Amino acid sequence: MQSKMRESDPILEVQNLSASTDNLPILKGVSLTVYPGEIHAIMGRNGCGKSTLSKIIAGHPSYNITNGDIKFLGENINSLEPEERAQSGIFLGFQYPIEIPGVSNLEFLRVSTNARRKFLNKEELDTFDFEELVKEKLEIVKMNHAFLSRSVNQGFSGGEKKRNEILQMALLEPKVAILDETDSGLDIDALRIVASGIKKISNAQTGIILITHYQRLLDEIKPNYVHVMSDGQIIKTGESDLALELEEKGYEWTDNFIKET
Amino acid sequence: MKIIEKIKTNKSTDNLTEIQKICLHKLQSSPLPNPKSELWRLSNKSKLSNFLDYSVNENNSKFDIPYPKNSQSTVRLIIGENFQIKLIEKNYSIQQLSENELQKYIKEQISFFNQNENWSYLLNLSLSCKNNILGLKINGSKIPPIEIFSHASSNSLNAKTLVIFLEKNCNVELLQVNLGQENSSLSQSTFFCLKENSSVNHGVVSYGENRSNLLNSLNVIQQKNSSYNLGSLHFKFNYARFEISIKQSAGNAKTNIKGMQITKKDEQISTYTKIEFNGPNGFLDQINKSLADDKSHAIFEGSIIVPKIAQRTDASQLSRNLLLSNLAQIDTKPQLEIIADDVKCKHGATISQLNEEELFYMRTRGITLTEASKLQLSSFFEEITSFIPISKDKWDLLDKLLNEN
Amino acid sequence: MVNENLVKDVVKEPYKYGFVTDIETEKIEKGLNEDIIKLISQKKEEPKFLLDFRLKAFKKWQKMKEPDWAALGYKKIDYQDIIYYSAPKQKEKISSLDEVDPKLLETFDKLGIPLTEQKKLTNVAVDAVFDSVSIATTFREELAKHGVIFCSISEAVKNHADLIEKYLGTVVPASDNYFAALNSAVFSDGSFVYIPKGVTCPMDLSSYFRINSGDSGQFERTLIIAEESSSVSYLEGCTAPMFDTNTLHAAVVELIALDDASIKYSTVQNWYAGDEKGIGGIFNFVTKRGKCLGKRSKISWSQVETGSAITWKYPSCLLLGEESVGEFYSVALTNNLQQADTGTKMIHIGPKTKSTIVSKGISAGNSKNSYRGLVKMGTKATGSRNYSQCDSMLIGDQASANTFPYIKSQQPNSEIEHEASTCRISEDQLFYLQSRGIEFEEAVSMMVSGFCRDVFNQLPMEFAAEADKLLALKLEGSVG
Repeated sequence: MQSKMRESDPILEVQNLSASTDNLPILKGVSLTVYPGEIHAIMGRNGCGKSTLSKIIAGHPSYNITNGDIKFLGENINSLEPEERAQSGIFLGFQYPIEIPGVSNLEFLRVSTNARRKFLNKEELDTFDFEELVKEKLEIVKMNHAFLSRSVNQGFSGGEKKRNEILQMALLEPKVAILDETDSGLDIDALRIVASGIKKISNAQTGIILITHYQRLLDEIKPNYVHVMSDGQIIKTGESDLALELEEKGYEWTDNFIKET
Repeated sequence: MKIIEKIKTNKSTDNLTEIQKICLHKLQSSPLPNPKSELWRLSNKSKLSNFLDYSVNENNSKFDIPYPKNSQSTVRLIIGENFQIKLIEKNYSIQQLSENELQKYIKEQISFFNQNENWSYLLNLSLSCKNNILGLKINGSKIPPIEIFSHASSNSLNAKTLVIFLEKNCNVELLQVNLGQENSSLSQSTFFCLKENSSVNHGVVSYGENRSNLLNSLNVIQQKNSSYNLGSLHFKFNYARFEISIKQSAGNAKTNIKGMQITKKDEQISTYTKIEFNGPNGFLDQINKSLADDKSHAIFEGSIIVPKIAQRTDASQLSRNLLLSNLAQIDTKPQLEIIADDVKCKHGATISQLNEEELFYMRTRGITLTEASKLQLSSFFEEITSFIPISKDKWDLLDKLLNEN
Repeated sequence: MVNENLVKDVVKEPYKYGFVTDIETEKIEKGLNEDIIKLISQKKEEPKFLLDFRLKAFKKWQKMKEPDWAALGYKKIDYQDIIYYSAPKQKEKISSLDEVDPKLLETFDKLGIPLTEQKKLTNVAVDAVFDSVSIATTFREELAKHGVIFCSISEAVKNHADLIEKYLGTVVPASDNYFAALNSAVFSDGSFVYIPKGVTCPMDLSSYFRINSGDSGQFERTLIIAEESSSVSYLEGCTAPMFDTNTLHAAVVELIALDDASIKYSTVQNWYAGDEKGIGGIFNFVTKRGKCLGKRSKISWSQVETGSAITWKYPSCLLLGEESVGEFYSVALTNNLQQADTGTKMIHIGPKTKSTIVSKGISAGNSKNSYRGLVKMGTKATGSRNYSQCDSMLIGDQASANTFPYIKSQQPNSEIEHEASTCRISEDQLFYLQSRGIEFEEAVSMMVSGFCRDVFNQLPMEFAAEADKLLALKLEGSVG
């Protein structure tokens, strides 16, 4: 597997990771390495552990790591707080972005952008400069300025929420972005906007993990690697054609892999 | 309990008004509230007794007003220093109610509310002397914002009474600030009457210092097409009660209430509200928020009464509570009593901590836990503080709440 | 406007269980004192511990005051004017159903609860209680095969005294409240259920309570024990004849669930409610409580309350075991001058406990329908959750609907959510149904039934159909 020459150091290494919530094991030894410029897709049925993996990488407090390590730029981050992970450049695009009534979207974006900038030793932005920056980034996701004055995600349509996620990604300029079913609930036009947004933001230095059920996002953003998850494990890894094969044959086809392994 | 002793052995009745005599008489037969009644059941007995420990002070010491008067067009009054009123009468259509008007009016209101047994009023009206009662009749529509201060000085119990009479078509912004100094008790009663088509944005901000206590009661009568908006905030009291009674005397009126109480240390603050609709087409939107931390106790009880006559009432009440410590407690009891069938009534209550998913979401964007909590708290507070009139540009309530507490 | 009169007509309902069975009964004299209690105990040949239990309860009761906090309006009950024991005269010992007085069998037949071998309901074992005594229990042998004990509580006192002594009064102590104390002193009969470890009760169990005499009170007592990993579904039904006097019914139900056990307790209460002028009807003052003692245990109450002049009833759950679950699903329909004050208490004591409350009140006529509930999170109830939803529907402008939830939390790491709303049948909805050719009455009944759907879904199959019919009957008027 992953035999291509990789010259630089990996961004993210998940090593034999097991995790549980309420004493219920969810991940059972997942390994995954992401190098700069790579796009990985993780596919699998509902409940296979895809979303959990993304939450654990981002540091969700409800899950306990029972075994294994997560390394980011060579450092073990198992015990880092979620905000420390985010500040250092890990981004999680939520499957269901949280609505936060009463907290203004603009304020939220500014505080988080500045937290990241502070980490990067960049100057923090005042309201005025920040507005300029946001204006520019809004273009990427074709969002209207009016979104900024509303509460975070409150009353946003499914598509608007997902675009708001990509906007945050654009502002935070992460090293690695894990996008959890960013394509779900989007119509074709919104999907194109989101996909082109992701492509614009990512570059040769960033890594992307796309978690998805469907081929259609992968048609827009071609992954280097495709992983199939089942029951808390990665049961098969291949190149982008694996996704096509999966689309054609369905997940039942993957059931055989479990028997093999 | 010095007050109780005094009431029991009350000697001279020479200078007392008729209402004072009646109230004193009643207080003698029930010198303490009935601890079994729903209104007092949860009240901390030793704190109440501490409230009554101070001796009554009818004189008013000087105190620091928390922010400067920054606008000439604001009317500022301090209960107990009624001499300022003359100037105001000259410039605006505001008049001081005469002694007789006051007596008549208070009597009417109390009987209208069937509250001649309400202990907080009995205490207040028994104790507040002529000098500490302020009555205003407000007329016309071009009234500047009004600020009214009440305060209790250290080591004493002060009783202040405010009566506001809003004439037809009049609209006004009025902020009441109740301040308690260290080791003090304040008994504050306020009577409001809104005539037809009048409207008021009423703010009540009460905060104390170390070991100060407050019994704050508010009576509002709303006539047809009046609109009463109340934004209130109570914090930093060893013991405080805020009792609100509102009656839409003929329905067809609007009531908006947004209240909040914040308790820390071993404080106890409670809010009791009773809203009655005495006619059709009434509207109520009420939200009460509590935040309890440390070993404190926050209480909310709200009842909405919709009799048969109150068809097409639209009333909603929400009690939102944050419990932030293992040793703190919150009691909440929203109540609906409905007879009319063509009504829209609902209530809701929640008790929880800060929302964990929201916190996590913000943290994944690099915002620290402390900051994320602050953002959540400030949005929790904002909804209430933004509803309190005038104050906003003068002193930043939100900052005070987030940073001092 | 919805035609008020039409709606009023619709909710008028004849009580079809109002007949009296003409049977010779053995009654003791009216009144209550220590001698009466001793007499009841002696008639039932009870062991000494039970007589002591009764006498202690009686002493407590004498010192207690009748509660008035629910603000129910009823004329004072003369506790000395009630007969505390009444039983149909039968042969000394009955060995089989064939020896039961045919009049009694016929009575239960008429109530839709056939007891005889040929006709008995399949898949439901029934304990039939007539006035103060249990007259028959079906499917006993079948149940015994699984180790399930299902019998009258009098029998249990004789045959399973150890279990009675161990559990009676442990969930509802005699001093709990006025009516529980009274019941503890004078209870006559009721049902006893014991499900042994690991057993899933093979069929639903059911008790059917019938008050026949006009002047005797009914004080039944039910005790259900579910051992580890067992489960049972229990149904309770009640009717009474129409008398113009008020009959007192003060029952106590105690449920105990150990580790991983689950008890589902369903009630369809249709005691005689009195006439449209409020004359007659049962005073139904009941204490029902379940204790989730074990880890992951579950107690679920569902009730359909349509009868009684006055109902005062709060089936509750004490959630002690870690991850235990309490549920309360209720429909209360009041009409004419009926008063219902019902709700639940969910006391979260153990960690990670969960409770759900769904209450639907429908008030018509001049009736008064209140939800009163308590949700409490104790200091150790970390990670616990409660969700409550209380909806009221008002029919006509004379009925009242009240909601009194009381919420108390001492545990920050827990969540409580309560919602309540009031509605009426909207003209638009009615018009929509009518414009599709649905009769007015049926439309009303459909709407009410839809309003109660969340609760009906919780009832066992047999009951759900019965409950739906019962509400429809209440709403159908004399035409149906």
